Amino acid sequence: MTRRRWLLPYLLIAPGLLWLALFFVLPNIQMVLMSLSSGTIRSGFEFSWAFENYVEAFTRFPDNVVNSLVFGGLATLLCFLIGYPMAYGIAFRGGRYKTLLLFLVIAPFFTSFLIRTISWRIILGDQGVFLSLVRDTLGIVPPNFSIIGTPLAVVSGLTYQYLPFMVLPLYVALEKIDYRLIEAARDLYAGPWRRGGAITGAFGGGFLAAALMLGLRYASLDAESLVPLLLAVAAGAAIGAVVGSFLISEAFVRVIWPLSLPGVFAGSILVFIPTLGDYVNVELLGNPQTQMIGNVIQNRFLQQNDYPLAAALSFILMAAILVAIIVYARVLGTEELTGGRG
Amino acid sequence: MTDHTTLTGGLTRRRFLQGTALTGAAAFLAACSTSGGSAAPAEPGASAGDGAATGPLQFANWDAYIDLTEVGDGEYDLPSPTLDDFTAETGIEVEYANAQIEDNESFMATIRPQLESGVATGWDLIVLTDWMAGKVVEAGWVEELDPANVATALANVRDELKGLPWDPDMKFHYPWQSGATGVGYNSVSTGRELTKVADLFDPAFAGKVTLLSETRDMFPLVHLALQGLGQASDTPAEDMTADDAQVVHDYLKPFVDDGHVRAFTGNEYLQDFGSGDTWAAMVWSGDLASSAGENDVFVYPEEGSMIWTDNMIIPKGAEHKAAAEQMVDFVYDVARAARLANFIYYISPVKGVADAITELDPEAASNPLLFPPADVVAKQHPQPTWDEAAETTVNELYADLSGV
Repeated sequence: MTRRRWLLPYLLIAPGLLWLALFFVLPNIQMVLMSLSSGTIRSGFEFSWAFENYVEAFTRFPDNVVNSLVFGGLATLLCFLIGYPMAYGIAFRGGRYKTLLLFLVIAPFFTSFLIRTISWRIILGDQGVFLSLVRDTLGIVPPNFSIIGTPLAVVSGLTYQYLPFMVLPLYVALEKIDYRLIEAARDLYAGPWRRGGAITGAFGGGFLAAALMLGLRYASLDAESLVPLLLAVAAGAAIGAVVGSFLISEAFVRVIWPLSLPGVFAGSILVFIPTLGDYVNVELLGNPQTQMIGNVIQNRFLQQNDYPLAAALSFILMAAILVAIIVYARVLGTEELTGGRG
Repeated sequence: MTDHTTLTGGLTRRRFLQGTALTGAAAFLAACSTSGGSAAPAEPGASAGDGAATGPLQFANWDAYIDLTEVGDGEYDLPSPTLDDFTAETGIEVEYANAQIEDNESFMATIRPQLESGVATGWDLIVLTDWMAGKVVEAGWVEELDPANVATALANVRDELKGLPWDPDMKFHYPWQSGATGVGYNSVSTGRELTKVADLFDPAFAGKVTLLSETRDMFPLVHLALQGLGQASDTPAEDMTADDAQVVHDYLKPFVDDGHVRAFTGNEYLQDFGSGDTWAAMVWSGDLASSAGENDVFVYPEEGSMIWTDNMIIPKGAEHKAAAEQMVDFVYDVARAARLANFIYYISPVKGVADAITELDPEAASNPLLFPPADVVAKQHPQPTWDEAAETTVNELYADLSGV
């Protein structure tokens, strides 16, 4: 028996390897072959080293790539800003309600992804609950203000869908922090951090305001929208400074934040990667100007029946994500990705 | 325009919007997965069942295309009396997938891989528009109908619907309904009457307009509008070429870029009319009258409209072929066809339905959705037939407009 011990690990990973070989490696080989084929759906596709598919894939859809990066990036940023306080609250103040609160975080997954997205169509619609409150009752936005069919709707949808993927790794990282470290920091005079917090908050708030104004296309980089853009940055910085000076303590900066970084990295990867390739939110909440690269791939596969170009696009997207993760892992160490620090 | 352009009042029935949205979601899910997304594929060997018809009949159809039961004051929802009667009479259960099909292309994308590789699609009866049905028949992806099982249908189908080049002897298909493509709008939101396709581009409706994702409706209708404006060639809409489509694209592009046209949709425009996000759109004729609000109106545009027929076909390898044939035959009964058409406001393919409807509901005789007036018919165009090269060009133009 002991001599056979060396076999055990291989036996244990065999089902997983087989699964990956059948449902990941083989389809990907087929995809690569398809991406180098030419022909039409009626005449059939033939492998022909058609590298021009890759040239076309790289050059033809710059707007959709930009949309993917911008909307995915904004959604990740917003997930972080919403998710960090949430995870922090559950980890440090959850008490005996921790399990219940975590359950609530993942509760949306009990409803179909599509039903949830379609619900947002109704909630954010012109006669929906949200607009009737902010537009009709409060009068914050002009009467012709719409959300459906704008980048705001798409980013809101993405942020909502992927928030749990940010909260859970953050919670794991925060929950592991030994509270005695924080007490020790306080004993060593890590008190409130007024000025530093205000400055950090101001920079963060200003950056967020600029990113939202530009990313959601309420402003662009021209002279005309310079004034509203600067106003928004100023407002964001002011709010950020106030929030920062109250919420960011020196103990947080020196102890909690560094120890929670693995969760931040893991969460941001788990949110950013799927949002990059998402197409359902755009399909249901966006308009022709907000189409992401996932929509292009879907359209090529299903509407145009242009399998080779779709395969080339899919392969490029996958390869780009893989390269990004490898760089990320090299720079930060692989344990950051799993959130573990031994 | 004359009275017949405004089709509201007593005709309107309101469907539960939520139900529509959810079935729409199911259709979308199916459109997003190439693996069928429906019932489990049957063994090809078990197909084309001879002898006794068994169920459950897997029936995929478009939204707002079946009669419904009144469930409240002016509110209607499934189950459908027609389908219930079918089950009562034949003992065959029907699993009716309402709104499973939102447009021809996206539905076909969900079953094409199965048809190509010769496995069952999971559907026993599907409804496709002429041009797509023709392609599917020509590809050999359909079961041949047993004439003995569809005798009523053969006897009752209107003569002008017979003799199509892709199925001259009615061996593979029977029409479900015919209808028109025109303009729909919410009269309260728009604040005025719309009479033309060109009215969709009124700056007052910016961001509240949707066009159809069905290229054979969308391009010809805008072509007609441009002819009205003197900006397109004289080619009739049914013969429009890829070059004409390019002209349409160049006209539409600025309206899409500045957000005037918010989306290209299939049947899901019904939800957008319901939520108020769409004020005016290209729509199919009967939908708004049967399934939208009382202020949602359909007009036959002054420039002309498109006319098409949707057809029932049995996809290759269907597990309950005999049941599907029974359904085809069942809906060709004159009285049943009259009840169905009078509910969904589409044009029945069954002979003698006109009289039956008038008997059922004297007011319906003047309904232009059921009986398009002569001046409307004179301006109706069949959908264009494009060869593969033209179709590829048009699809690329459409992809560019829809931002992908």
